[in-house]
Amino acid sequence: MMKKLSVLLITLALACAPAVHAGDNPIRVEVNGLVCDFCARALEKVFDKQPAVAEIDVDLGKKVILIHLKDGAEIDDALVSKLVTDAGYGVVEIIRHATDE
Amino acid sequence: MRRHFLILLSALLCGLTVVASAWARPVSYPEGWTGLTMNDGRRNSLYVHYSPTADYSLGYKFEYWREAEYTVHALQINYLLERRNRRDSQASWYLRSGVGVAHGDRAGGDGDTTRTVAYTGVALDWESRRLYAAYHNRLTEAGDIDSSFRQSVRVGVAPYLGSYGDLHTWFMLDASHAPESDETLAVSPLIRFFKGTHLVEVGADQHGDLLFNWVARY
Repeated sequence: MMKKLSVLLITLALACAPAVHAGDNPIRVEVNGLVCDFCARALEKVFDKQPAVAEIDVDLGKKVILIHLKDGAEIDDALVSKLVTDAGYGVVEIIRHATDE
Repeated sequence: MRRHFLILLSALLCGLTVVASAWARPVSYPEGWTGLTMNDGRRNSLYVHYSPTADYSLGYKFEYWREAEYTVHALQINYLLERRNRRDSQASWYLRSGVGVAHGDRAGGDGDTTRTVAYTGVALDWESRRLYAAYHNRLTEAGDIDSSFRQSVRVGVAPYLGSYGDLHTWFMLDASHAPESDETLAVSPLIRFFKGTHLVEVGADQHGDLLFNWVARY
């Protein structure tokens, strides 16, 4: 009985746990020219096509994008830089192991 | 008087060009489609273009010029000549050119006429999250249907700064100069709303002509 209860409680705890954001260590990219929604959408469209990318968050105020990778996936700085540049924007800095701040 | 006004306007346009920004980006992101309709006292237009890269776009444009009463079907190419990305701003300079056919029913006063039409011009834009400025011009040659130069300048300010995905609002002033037109200068206060993939502009000029523009990007 206690064992079943424990399993149930653990299951419930796991179900109620906050969802882990895809890619615990997003890549933080500071971008030049990121001044409007259209710019943000352009970068989102470009990165969404990458198989390694789970999603990106765009902060227009800080001119920063956070790239969340799929589990076990990797993307190198050169490709990140190329994608941002090809979308029409400029890379200021790429920071690995960034937080969501 | 008119000469002085034109000199003043030209100086104003040149000054604004230095910090100018294009009001409707003629090139989208790579592999992006854009559909737009522009309507004001001078013309109605429908335009669809595709951007293989962020450097150029190709598309089909339909126009109806109201005063001269003629239509245009054209293939247009837009090319990004230069872009300056800064921390808090972006400036772009485009070349826009088209070729096609013009069909008018008042050419030479002798009824329906079809002519080859070609046009070209530059578009400049500068924008930050708060401020916006744009200038574009166009030289059109369609034989006896139309041979003209037009230019427009636009400035805008955002009353608030929204986050990505929010409804963005701009208060803008658009001035259109067409020396060969009966209405040489049209000045239109307008409001721009921008959310998601859609941009809508609504305004009116001093002649009472309404302005309605809609842009969708995919």
